[in-house]
Formats: sequence, structure tokens, C-alpha cells
Amino acid sequence: MNVLLLAINFAAVAVVLGAWWLSTGQGWIAPIFLPSPGDVLHAARIKIANGDLLTDVVVSARRVFLGFGLAAMVSIPLGIVMGVWRPAKAIMDPFVSLLRPLPSITWIPLSILWLGIGELQKVAIVFMGSWIYILLYTYESTRRVDPLLLRAARNLGAGDGAVMWEVILPGALPGIIGGLKVTLAISWSCVLTAEMIAAQSGLGALIWQAKDWGNLPLVLVGMLCISLTVLVADWLALRLELVLLPWERGRRG
Amino acid sequence: MPAILTARNVTKTYDAGRSGQVVAVQDLSLDIEEGEFVCLLGASGCGKSTMLSLFAGFIQPTTGEVALRGTPITGIEPRCGVVFQSYALFPWRTVRGNVEFGLKMQGVGRAARRERGQAFIDLVKLTGFEERYPTELSGGMQQRVTLARILAANPAVLLMDEPFAALDAMTRQVMQEELLRIHATSHKTTVFITHSLDEALILSDRIVVMSPRPGRIKAVIPNPLPRPRHVAMQITPEYMALKSSLWQLVEAEMAHHDETSSPQD
Ligand SMILES: Nc1ncnc2c1ncn2[C@@H]1O[C@H](COP(=O)(O)OP(=O)(O)OP(=O)(O)O)[C@@H](O)[C@H]1O
Ligand SMILES: [Mg+2]
Repeated sequence: MNVLLLAINFAAVAVVLGAWWLSTGQGWIAPIFLPSPGDVLHAARIKIANGDLLTDVVVSARRVFLGFGLAAMVSIPLGIVMGVWRPAKAIMDPFVSLLRPLPSITWIPLSILWLGIGELQKVAIVFMGSWIYILLYTYESTRRVDPLLLRAARNLGAGDGAVMWEVILPGALPGIIGGLKVTLAISWSCVLTAEMIAAQSGLGALIWQAKDWGNLPLVLVGMLCISLTVLVADWLALRLELVLLPWERGRRG
Repeated sequence: MPAILTARNVTKTYDAGRSGQVVAVQDLSLDIEEGEFVCLLGASGCGKSTMLSLFAGFIQPTTGEVALRGTPITGIEPRCGVVFQSYALFPWRTVRGNVEFGLKMQGVGRAARRERGQAFIDLVKLTGFEERYPTELSGGMQQRVTLARILAANPAVLLMDEPFAALDAMTRQVMQEELLRIHATSHKTTVFITHSLDEALILSDRIVVMSPRPGRIKAVIPNPLPRPRHVAMQITPEYMALKSSLWQLVEAEMAHHDETSSPQD
């Protein structure tokens, strides 16, 4: 069954690649609209050979890592406090309501004014685009911890601290990690937006500059590279999940 | 003997949203003596779990008072250990971690915890499953973990909500025998909810029969079956006679319940 599904995966990709190869090769689609797979491969080879591509991936990944990490460091504790202590929720609620509708791109003018166009500004954009999601996921997961387990823990003699460490944190952890995974993808889109608007390096800048030079194969290389990087990040997150949440392994199979 | 657990004119009403209020328990008074084994018997929804939650301090009576050794129970009471109807195991802790939880909360050191936890894991016949997580166990196994967890914590009172409901007949008998043995040696005060007449008769000193809507005590029946008891007693003519007289008393309350055991089986 699994083998069959895998075969379907490959077949679907092969069909699309084949159609792409055929339609560009036969000249049905002009190269200025869609370059051929060969052109894209060629562009990728050059960029990989001179090391530019890896540099761009590393630069973007570093920005995501810093902004996302900072957001997680702020929002996870804050979200837990909001979940267990109502006044904290009351304090945060108005700000969350006001800031949540703003896409991170709307922070670009202010962030450039305040922070210039250096690394700090990119990290800030990632941070602004991520922290609210992490906060909300953490808050929700904390609220959703089974109240029966809180009772059971107290019935077995747990005090406030033990309830926090032994029940609320592990109980909320799967939800928090799930939220982090969703937010990580959002963080990537934030950094790319920021790089397209004002940056000399990073995958977003690569795509935008390639567009300016009319180098369409390079645009596609950049896009592919983003997909692959996020896939790798997701895979790493899944590994981490298996280590952090051993009790969920049965559910995942 | 003095009463250890008391309920004085306890009424508990729940807010049930649009449908108004549900009177789960009405004007109920009950004294449970030190060392006594009391079974609560009654149809589904007659307020058995509600009484247990009141004794554990999970909920407060709407009117009236519950007390442990004369002191009102106003918050969650670790001296009244609960075996939950729905297990309430910590999914992120292994069998061992769950069983040792109470000991850890009491500040028992790692080595002593290990040893005492293991004894109760062995007792409930889960040797070899120490490192499994609850989701990897069957319902009956999870139920036995809950039992081991509370026995290891060694509270003054045991409150058990249908603790053997998910077990197969064989395991259930083994667990009943274990509980009889534990009670014989520790004389721990126990409140035990069950739907089974046999279980109530073999385990209890007194049987409290409840009736639903609103939940009240219908009858309190002292159990004359001599101790020490044994599951094999259930085939003696004396036992049969006792069971059929008890059956007549509770018939009206139990008639509509699925898990009813009848005197013929
Ligand atoms: N949290 C709650 N909110 C509203 N109503 C409740 C709540 N808990 C129990 N009830 C109601 O109170 C009544 C008694 O419930 P309880 O759980 O004590 O019954 P029970 O005797 O333990 O039943 P069972 O044998 O099915 O476990 C029922 O009518 C139930 O619907
Ligand atoms: Mg119940």
C-alpha cells in the first residue's frame, strides 16, 4: 500500500516534469515565460559551483533562525503564563488583537526607519511575523491540557510548581511544537519578503535580483531552493519531535 | 469506630447550560468508618462519581458539608486517593513514571521510588511493561496502572470509581483478590463504586444503594459475608441466598442498567 502511494508520488512528479520538459523543448512555451528544465539545472550548477547558492541559503537561514528563535523565546513563556494566569491574558489581549491582522510586510517601513537595512532589520521582520502565532498556539495548547490530569496530579500530592512542570508543560508540548512547525514556514516567507524589498544577500534577494537581470532560470532555482530548505527544516523538526515527544511515537507509527 | 469520611446533608447541583440545573445528589448523608470498605451501587447517572468527586475535593457541595476526620474538605485532598473511571494517566510518562508519580510528589528518593513502584507494578501484573507509554497499553492494562499508581502513593482513603470495569473476568477476579488481601492487611478505608452485585458482595463491609434523579441513598445494607473472603465463595448456597435478597432490594434501581448482573448468572 505504502509502496503504491510512493509510486503515485513519483509518477505525478514525473508527469509534470515531463510536460514541462516537452512543452519548453518543443517551443510551445517561450523561454521568457518559462525556461526549460535544462536551463534551470544549468543555472543551478553555476550557482552551486561558485558557492553563491549555499551562501544565500545560509544567510537566509540564519535570519530565520534568529528571528524565529527570539520569537519562540519570548512567546512560549508568555503564552504559558497567559494560559494559566488570566490577568496576563487580559493584558496581552488588546495588543494581540491589534497586531495580529498586520502581515509582517507592513512592518518593513518602520523597521527600516528604526533599524536600517542590515541584519537586525531582517531578524526583526521575522520576529514580528512569528511571535503572535507562537504565542497563540502556546496559549491554546496550555488551555487544552486535560483538566482531569490536573486533578489527578493534585490528588497525588502535586503542588503548583509540580503541576506546572509535570503536567502543564508536557501536556502543552505537542501543541506548542505543532505551532512552531506551522510558524517556521511563516518565518521563511517573512524573511523572503524582507530580502526582496531591501537586501543584498539571501534567497529573497537572489530571486529579486535575478528578476531584475531577466534571468528567469535563476528565479526558478531560488524558488526550488526555498522549497528544499523548508522541507529540510520540516524534516529536522520531525526528528526533534520524535526525540522530545517519545510518548507520541505510537500515534505517529 | 469513629467516622473518617462524612457527608452531611450534601446537595450538589450542576449547571447544565440551557437545560437548566441538574441535581446530581440531593440531601445525602453518609458516615464512613475508619477501615471500612463501602461499595456504592446504583444505576448510571445516580450520582456515584459525584459523591467521589466531593470526597476527593474536586468539587464542592452546593449545600451541606463533606469532611475528612471532622475537617471540611474544601480543596483537592491528597489523603483521599482517587482511581478514576477514565484512568487519567499521564500520557507523557511511562508505566513506571505514572506509578512513581505520587512517591515523587512526596519527595521519596529515586532508589526507594524505583523499588516501591516496582512492587506495585508487579502487584498489578504489569511486570515487563514498565517502559511502555499508556497509549501503548490496552484499556484493562491502563486501569491496572491507575490502581498501582494510587496504591503506591498510599493515601489514607481509597476512592475507586469502577476500577475493574475494563478488565476481563479473569483479571478482574485476580484484582478483587488482591484488593481483598490489601484491605485485610492495611485496613484502608475504601469507597468503591461498582455496577456489579457480586463485586459489591465480595468486597464490601457495607453496600450503599443509590437511586437516581435526584441522587439519594435508597438503602444501606451491611454485608454479613464473613471474612476472610475469597472469590470462590460465590458458589456457596449462603452467598446465593444473600445475593438474591440483595437483588430484590436493588432490582428497581438496577433494572435498566447494561452492566447489571442478575442472580441467575
Ligand atoms: N460536570 C457536570 N456538569 C453537568 N452535569 C453533570 C456533571 N457531572 C455529572 N453530571 C450529571 O449529574 C448526574 C450524576 O452524574 P455522575 O457522574 O455522578 O453519575 P454516576 O452515578 O457516576 O454514573 P455512571 O455509573 O454512569 O458513572 C448525571 O445526571 C450527570 O448528567
Ligand atoms: Mg460514574
